[in-house]
Amino acid sequence: MNKISIPIGPQHPLLKEPLSMKIDISGERVLGGSLRLGYVHRGIERLAQQRSYTQDIYLIERICGICSHIHTTTFCHAVEALLGIEAPPRAHYIRALMCELERIHSHLLWLGILAKHVGLDTIFMHVWHDREMALDIMEGISGGRISHAANQIGGVRFDLDKEKVAMIRSTIAKLHTQVEGVLDVVENEPTLRARTKGVAPISADLIKKYCVVGPVARASGVDMDLRRDDPLPPYDQLDFPVVTYPDGDAWARTMVRAEETRTSLTLIETILQEMPDGPVTTRAPRRVPKGEVIIRSEAPRGELLYYLRSDGSDSPARLKIRTPTLAALSLLPQQLSAIHVADIPVVLAGVDLCVACADR
Amino acid sequence: MDRIDIETILNKIQLQTGCVCETYAHIENDDTIRIPADQLQAVIGVLMGDFDYYHLSAITAQQREDQTDELEVMYHFWKDTGLSLIMTLPAKLPQLTSIISIIPGADFYEREVAEMFGVTFTGRAETPPLLLPDDWDQGPPFIRDEVNNE
Amino acid sequence: MIEGFVYLLLFPGLLFQVVCGLAFEWLDRKFLARFQRRVGPPWYQPLADLIKLFSKEDLLPEGANNVVASLLPLLSLSAVLTAGLYVPIAGFSPFSFEGDLIVILFLMSVPTLAYYLAGIVSVGIYSILGGGRSLLQFFSYEVPLLIALSGPAVLGGSWSVERIMASQASLGPFILFQPLGFILAVVGLIGKLKRDPLDIPSAKSEVVGGSLTEFTGTKLALWHLVMNLQAVVGIFLLINLYLGWSQIDHPLVSIAVFVGECLILTVILSGASAIFARLRIDQLAGLGWRILVPLSLLQLAVVILMGV
Repeated sequence: MNKISIPIGPQHPLLKEPLSMKIDISGERVLGGSLRLGYVHRGIERLAQQRSYTQDIYLIERICGICSHIHTTTFCHAVEALLGIEAPPRAHYIRALMCELERIHSHLLWLGILAKHVGLDTIFMHVWHDREMALDIMEGISGGRISHAANQIGGVRFDLDKEKVAMIRSTIAKLHTQVEGVLDVVENEPTLRARTKGVAPISADLIKKYCVVGPVARASGVDMDLRRDDPLPPYDQLDFPVVTYPDGDAWARTMVRAEETRTSLTLIETILQEMPDGPVTTRAPRRVPKGEVIIRSEAPRGELLYYLRSDGSDSPARLKIRTPTLAALSLLPQQLSAIHVADIPVVLAGVDLCVACADR
Repeated sequence: MDRIDIETILNKIQLQTGCVCETYAHIENDDTIRIPADQLQAVIGVLMGDFDYYHLSAITAQQREDQTDELEVMYHFWKDTGLSLIMTLPAKLPQLTSIISIIPGADFYEREVAEMFGVTFTGRAETPPLLLPDDWDQGPPFIRDEVNNE
Repeated sequence: MIEGFVYLLLFPGLLFQVVCGLAFEWLDRKFLARFQRRVGPPWYQPLADLIKLFSKEDLLPEGANNVVASLLPLLSLSAVLTAGLYVPIAGFSPFSFEGDLIVILFLMSVPTLAYYLAGIVSVGIYSILGGGRSLLQFFSYEVPLLIALSGPAVLGGSWSVERIMASQASLGPFILFQPLGFILAVVGLIGKLKRDPLDIPSAKSEVVGGSLTEFTGTKLALWHLVMNLQAVVGIFLLINLYLGWSQIDHPLVSIAVFVGECLILTVILSGASAIFARLRIDQLAGLGWRILVPLSLLQLAVVILMGV
């Protein structure tokens, strides 16, 4: 059959955010594809140099809607390291609480998208309904569902009183039951399995060569989780399992994220139990002394790296952000060879694209 | 998780490549080694071969405001701890060897540095723009003398 | 003469079938919504959608053949409406004759082929892909469907749908004798209607809209009507061939039973839509030829032996 080239994007039912792919197919087999980013490039790194550190928190939060909190957390850690101050322990725990909530909401969003792409709309509807519970918690404690403005340099903006903690506990309990029900279906439903098992396997070798991070790497057996390997406080005090699967196919990627959701749900309970009392913020000077720092953290999609250099003024001299989706996208053209056309949505869902993060 | 001693790495690099590199102590959290730009591939070869540093996290480029005739490029590696390589290039016609033959994952990072700072990567076919639009004609956005409002 | 017009245009012809088609669409969407913990649309939604589509601009890409593209939905519509004339509604079938089952099955394949041609003729990449897939799908489900629909004919001793249904009055509903055949017929119907889990030709995440990607306005409205009418005629056919208890003497009870059976089949179709993920075309081909065809042949053999 002839080779034809189908465009996916910049607008396509598959894509939440604009991304341009040209995929070469012959009949129902995909031969390969190429990728073009940059549709949501806003020049964040350049803009950050023109704003003060506090203004930058608001800028950085808007790099991505799904993983906004981890970006500001990493940035605040970087600035605090340069200032030589340490946020109070209670602030660290609150930051971790929001990070785990974000991880849950991101993975549930992802699960809905995967289900929708394979035609199982029912799971999509149910999962996104349950995800609202996680968003309600975030709104209850920070005032925002997606942009929480939780972080400030030196700590967090709000505290949790007994009522809020009780609300979090009860909602998480409900969410846990619901999520277990959905994951039970996802793990055992035969048509979903048929669509994901054996699809687009990636070897651990390829993961290492392309420097892929996050759940995609863990699904191919590469044991890498920065919450354990390079922990920001309070993760150095918390104990949690890191799940890897050896197969590297779309099914493994689904299961890794499912397990991570479960881990995060239990981790939130641990965080609430171990949260110390105390203040939630310390004073932070406006001018940051000269220095350079690199901070790494584990976003829902993998390793997030911030390099920050300060020149003694109240604006960063250089801010470099490396988001996990950028690493995953470099492997995408490779993944898109020798699969069926019908597997394209499954592969794209497995990568868990956050193009706004990749483009910055 | 045993930290690899930076001295061991420096000695091994000197042994294999004959290059005497020094540590650059100003980046908190990561060990950093300053290397000459032309030794990039050799040093990475040592890191990957002898110390199993295969994960490249990012490639950062910057132009310090007090040294506008130089570009600094950093390669950030990770294995149990962070290790960065820092090198200096002349700001006029900067050139670096591409490492995509050893680490294919460096492709996107090299393209971004190429389009944002005007660095030419030798040893690869082309560096198509990654984030900037196809019709961008205003030169590398991060180079200070090209942009007026700094 | 007047009778002819009433039958053709009002009942069981045009008006009745269109109303049933819209009712089916509403019930389907409502059941699906309740499965998915949503509210679902109000009863007039399918009619509103139809009217809205009629008022939209009707355009096709450059290079598409407008004349053929307009004729295809009209041809399909007339084929399905004609097929619907021969299917007994609660026992009432003014046009039945010996062999009308074959005619119905033939007329019902016209929209399938027209769908494929619509994809080719509208020239967009996704349309061509969707059209090709619809033909591949046709080869996978059509054989088991036809065999499953022939089983009742063998058991009822006739190729007229009305006579098959009538023979169930004495023998009992055929679903009791050939339950496997019923299941195969339902699966085949899902394939024919291109519904989830067999909506491969129009998989939104893969081929955007399939054959109908480039259709808009009146043509698209007619295609939607064709899809709904296909579903309605398919359901009526299945009821008559397998669940035929509608020839009860009392007309109101007969109608109530018929409506009840329609609802049951609609729930089955919506449920299948809600529960399963979409299959891949190679998985469907494997399913069709490795499982459905042998099972349907087995069922047919059993039925033939029973008749003997």
